[in-house]
Amino acid sequence: MHDRWTDQMSEYLDGELPPHEHAALEAHVGQCAECARTLAELRSVVARAASLGDRPPARDLWPGIAAMLGSDGAVTPTRRTPPRRFSFSVPQLAAAAAVIVALTGGGVWVLRPSTRQELPVTATAAPAPAPARSATVRNAASRPTANQTYDAAVSDLQDVLAAGRGRLDTATVRIIEKNLMTIDSAVSAARRAVQADPANGFLNEYLAHTMRRKIDLLRQAAALASAQS
Amino acid sequence: MTTPTLGVPTLSFTPVPERANTESVEVALAAGGDAHAFERLYRKHSSRVHSLVRRMLSDEDADELTQDIFVRVWQKLGSFRGESAFGTWLHRLAVNVVLARRAELGTRRKRYHDDDAPLELVSARRAPPELSMDFEAALARLPDGARQIFVLHDVEGYRHEEIADMLGLATGTSKSQLHRARMALRVHLDR
Repeated sequence: MHDRWTDQMSEYLDGELPPHEHAALEAHVGQCAECARTLAELRSVVARAASLGDRPPARDLWPGIAAMLGSDGAVTPTRRTPPRRFSFSVPQLAAAAAVIVALTGGGVWVLRPSTRQELPVTATAAPAPAPARSATVRNAASRPTANQTYDAAVSDLQDVLAAGRGRLDTATVRIIEKNLMTIDSAVSAARRAVQADPANGFLNEYLAHTMRRKIDLLRQAAALASAQS
Repeated sequence: MTTPTLGVPTLSFTPVPERANTESVEVALAAGGDAHAFERLYRKHSSRVHSLVRRMLSDEDADELTQDIFVRVWQKLGSFRGESAFGTWLHRLAVNVVLARRAELGTRRKRYHDDDAPLELVSARRAPPELSMDFEAALARLPDGARQIFVLHDVEGYRHEEIADMLGLATGTSKSQLHRARMALRVHLDR
């Protein structure tokens, strides 16, 4: 047996030898029966190790574990001494955000000013007071640009998401789509509210907020899809 | 006694994802404090963890440390983020617990570099049949350092870089110890 060659055999088997040493070892093994046998034995050791089966414990260890968790393995979550660290995935966070948005949207409809019936008259026939009028004009002038920017951003992100959709598992896609629908409902509700009361600063702010929520969710979903590639 | 898993596996067109989903459910339940779900996870993974401990340390330590590992898993379930399979996460945690136990025993550093005698004993060629050992027994006779590296690399599939990182060794040391272990074990292949 030649130590010079045998010392390299494990790296050879693991594919970690540089090409020229790999070739040299193969050439030597082709001419040296003893080294060829050693290499074959080492190869068998590697195969044997990879095929070792797992053996269960000779006795049932669960009762001892259960005793350390809580009495008799009963469901005792309160016995868990270390404070739990909660972590959430992107879809979970998005779901939470969507719920908040939906709840806030509902709240807006309930709590918004009761001037709804007067607004059509104010907007179409009667001259509005100067401050409200100027606010309305300002909003009307800025809204198309903001909407266009928003629509373009949504469109871009939806394209990215569509391209990476196949890389996400179906459960994640389902959650994302559900949340997008929820946010879309909130955006629609906010838009209708702003249409009915264009001068209402709170409603405008809320509409912008729901739009940002959708952009954020799409951005996170697109990033998630990209990360899976 | 093995507790049945959740769900009714009828008309399953995708059995592997179904199993994976079932385990995800068990993990989520256990993370929420359900010890019965955790017992099902224990039943599924205990053989692998126990075998890992037995090979890395010894038969005598295996039961106690396996229990410690599963208690640790229970405590740390809240930090499992699902970035890898639960089994992979559990296994890595088990390796860390085993290595920590080795450090507690205080013999790790010495055993990685010294103590060639057991290696020579294991590799004694052409031992009489009455003294022969099976492969697992021969593995158990290796010096701690060589054995742990062999188990981590050849049995568990870790790379040298990972092993060196876990054990605080140079990659070259991991490679040379692995080679020594393989050389020692090759005479026990057919026993």
